[in-house]
Amino acid sequence: MITDQPYWNPVLETLDQERLKIIQLKKFQRIFRWAYDHSLFHRRLYDKAGICPEDIRSLEDICHVPTVEKSMMRDIQRKEPFPYGEALCVPLEDVTEFRQTSGTTGQPVYQPDTWQDWEWWSECWSYILWAQGYRPRDRVFIPFGYNIFVAFWAGHYGAEKIGCEVVPGGILDTPARILKIQELEATALMGTPTYLLNMAEVALNQLEIDPAKLSIDKITCAGECGASIPSTKKRIETAWGAKVYDHAGATEIGAWSYECQAQSGGLHVNEGFFLVEIQDTETGEIISEPGRKGKMIITAFDRIAQPCVRFDAKDIIEWADYSCPCGRTYRLIKGGVLGRADDITKVKGVLLAPSAIEEVVRSIPGLGNEYEVIVEKEGDSDRITLKVELLSHQGLNKKEIEKNLIDHLRLKTNLRYKLEFHASGELPRYDVKARRFKDLRTKF
Amino acid sequence: MHQEIDIKEMSEKISSFRQNAQELKEMGAFFPALERNMVRIMASIKMLEINISDVMDSDYTQENTF
Repeated sequence: MITDQPYWNPVLETLDQERLKIIQLKKFQRIFRWAYDHSLFHRRLYDKAGICPEDIRSLEDICHVPTVEKSMMRDIQRKEPFPYGEALCVPLEDVTEFRQTSGTTGQPVYQPDTWQDWEWWSECWSYILWAQGYRPRDRVFIPFGYNIFVAFWAGHYGAEKIGCEVVPGGILDTPARILKIQELEATALMGTPTYLLNMAEVALNQLEIDPAKLSIDKITCAGECGASIPSTKKRIETAWGAKVYDHAGATEIGAWSYECQAQSGGLHVNEGFFLVEIQDTETGEIISEPGRKGKMIITAFDRIAQPCVRFDAKDIIEWADYSCPCGRTYRLIKGGVLGRADDITKVKGVLLAPSAIEEVVRSIPGLGNEYEVIVEKEGDSDRITLKVELLSHQGLNKKEIEKNLIDHLRLKTNLRYKLEFHASGELPRYDVKARRFKDLRTKF
Repeated sequence: MHQEIDIKEMSEKISSFRQNAQELKEMGAFFPALERNMVRIMASIKMLEINISDVMDSDYTQENTF
């Protein structure tokens, strides 16, 4: 039976790394040439660097190809061919899809796709969902506002391609979505970690429905690193009584990695579709060995309208030093996306990743899911305020919780915090990407 | 596992599928219902090529096309 097959693509996902690398080189050469020949933006960039497609003879040559950053895309867009500008590689009439980035880091970037690109997006998601156990007969509820952001659009199409029944929970509010899940006995769910935790709270507090007793048995997360943070993953799994799987993707890139059912503590990079390089943030050197963190430079091999060639995604990742028991040969990035190069900041001279704070807060019983971190200047030093919610029904001693929190924060982040305890429900809630880290220091 | 799968034969069938689809698409120059459906079918054929033919033809010649 096809449903018993563990891999969406039993050839590519189990191919030995040596052969995979030959394919990756060929595919890189092809997309590089495509961008060079069809986009004035790319050609100028590469000509300026003195590199052309003929120069790429080995995987080692690829590091000489200049990277593309989001800010460069912002500069060329809103011009002809309107609104995409000179990175567009196909005639405007071939574009069938418009999406844009969320604008978290500035002016949104527009993303055009042809119908073939859109098929490719859903193909990427088919790998993800199959690896996470989605099969025909699953009834997948997707509670997101279908709009200009790509979010779970391709997840919807990927689930359809696999053969699942998809229930679009678009315009419904949170209680209505929960009731629809209950009414239809949906078996799978997709959402950001933040929203899934909020949904569970609403189910319990407003509807008196225990989400763990609903029929959801698997959840796919996106949009935040939460599902790869063990304490957050555990909270979502406990709240929903379901397996929680992470994946990583981005509007300008595609859905490039996924956690599989073996849940071995990392995400598989879809190496048949993407070339992931890890670059040392200090030296620029490409890191090929496990255990060293760096920022991701990524190429999507087969996306053609607005190609993604050596895109500097600013995601911090590291290769795992183990292979996955699932049998896939696609390499793993350990612990998923560890943070963003933009978010990791120096506080009191110490590098701080907001995800480390989340891991601590959500590992402590008696604290709610929400938190907020504010970094401010206090004289010549920095002050970090951490706001958390105390769960009244847990019957735990506040002093014990506080001590626990201080100890774990010091251990994990090597920093001291001013703690503020709030009643449950007092801190802001988010429906999409949460903004819990606020750096109010003046930047020069 | 993939020893049991004859990707060479699959790849040949995909190639023939592509050729037929291309010819059919060209016949639809004045037939929107044909031409636009062929665009969709050819996108699906491309996914088969990515999944199967590109693995088979890891020494494929550099084509300046997708």
